[in-house]
Amino acid sequence: MRDALEQALGARVEHAVKLAGGASKEAWAVDLADGRELLVRRAGGGVIHLDTLSLRDEYEVIVAAREAGVRAPEPIAYLGEVDGREAFAMERVHGETIGRRIVKAPPPGLGLEMAEELAKIHAVAPERLPFLPHGSLWERLYAELDSVDEPHPAIELGLAWCRERLPLDRPPVVTHGDFRLGNLAVDEHGLVAVLDWEFAHLSDPAEDLAWPLVRAWRFGADDRRLGGVGDVEPYLARYDELTGRAVPLSELYAWEVLGNCKWAIGALTQARRHLRGEERSVELAILGRLAAEMEYELLDLIERAA
Amino acid sequence: MELDRPVASELAGAVREFLEAEILPTLDDHRLRFRTLVAMNALSIVERETPPPDERTWETARRIRAGDVRPGDLAALKSEIAAKLRIASPRTLDRYS
Repeated sequence: MRDALEQALGARVEHAVKLAGGASKEAWAVDLADGRELLVRRAGGGVIHLDTLSLRDEYEVIVAAREAGVRAPEPIAYLGEVDGREAFAMERVHGETIGRRIVKAPPPGLGLEMAEELAKIHAVAPERLPFLPHGSLWERLYAELDSVDEPHPAIELGLAWCRERLPLDRPPVVTHGDFRLGNLAVDEHGLVAVLDWEFAHLSDPAEDLAWPLVRAWRFGADDRRLGGVGDVEPYLARYDELTGRAVPLSELYAWEVLGNCKWAIGALTQARRHLRGEERSVELAILGRLAAEMEYELLDLIERAA
Repeated sequence: MELDRPVASELAGAVREFLEAEILPTLDDHRLRFRTLVAMNALSIVERETPPPDERTWETARRIRAGDVRPGDLAALKSEIAAKLRIASPRTLDRYS
């Protein structure tokens, strides 16, 4: 692997260490002899999911995000095949990514910085990234739920409730697709970089805006509704100020319910990778039972809205 | 109540495979190897116990998908999910009080 990396990067490699992670994508911490610290993302041996970007496309999204001034890792090069699998290299950013640690002492301006980065991401020109998925939200979610092949009336109720309330009347924008703690590098001063762009797609901007509100992404700090780090109102006000959009709090609430539906379906589909033998793992298996946490939350949100 | 998958038998299978693939090869101690094999056998007994399927939950899901949401649905589903959580993740319910 080291030889293959040296050849692809055209530079001498001091160290290359594979980091812990999933089977579908690998991450390598690579130190070059000239002192540069890189992170190489490489395809894994596992099954590639539908609706996630190829590494070439993910690289292009990061390039476009950087051009738009988004705090994202500096893209270094798309490497093509490295030792038989597609890969790209980017700057290895420093900062905490573990949600549980960040919510213990979140830097004070983090919520506003999240709004600022989202405003910049949503301003990327869609024609710059013509390969981004842009299908119907409802078709995508029902297709994923049906692929689970298990009855989930609570999720059905959540989706029906959201369909009545989400107007979907804004022009679609480039969205990150998984913007939340865990995919943000944070240090004591604030947000360092937005990571993990493989779920980028075209959608209503409010989908991204509400995603970090979902209780699972508060990492135990339940009373701070914005990702366990702050209040929603100043975050939404900052986003509206920067974008000229006016997303009502009530609509954001419906998107939060939808976020819980999405993550419940996501957990169920992850468990299917274990059950179908695509990737046998106790961690994936257990997600099939934890979907009930999101189901309870979405029912509770609907009940409280009444 | 229809439980979500993986059901107990499937979870037992996941743990048995983990013991077989990742723990057993690391064990040199004779007694530990034997006891791990016994534990794996116990799990494989649980694997063979499978619950009967429940058609009622499918009917409710299809009815709601078709647009027929009834006044009692929310409360009934909430208590059903709470029952699932008491098995899968009991501490979650402490966060709602």
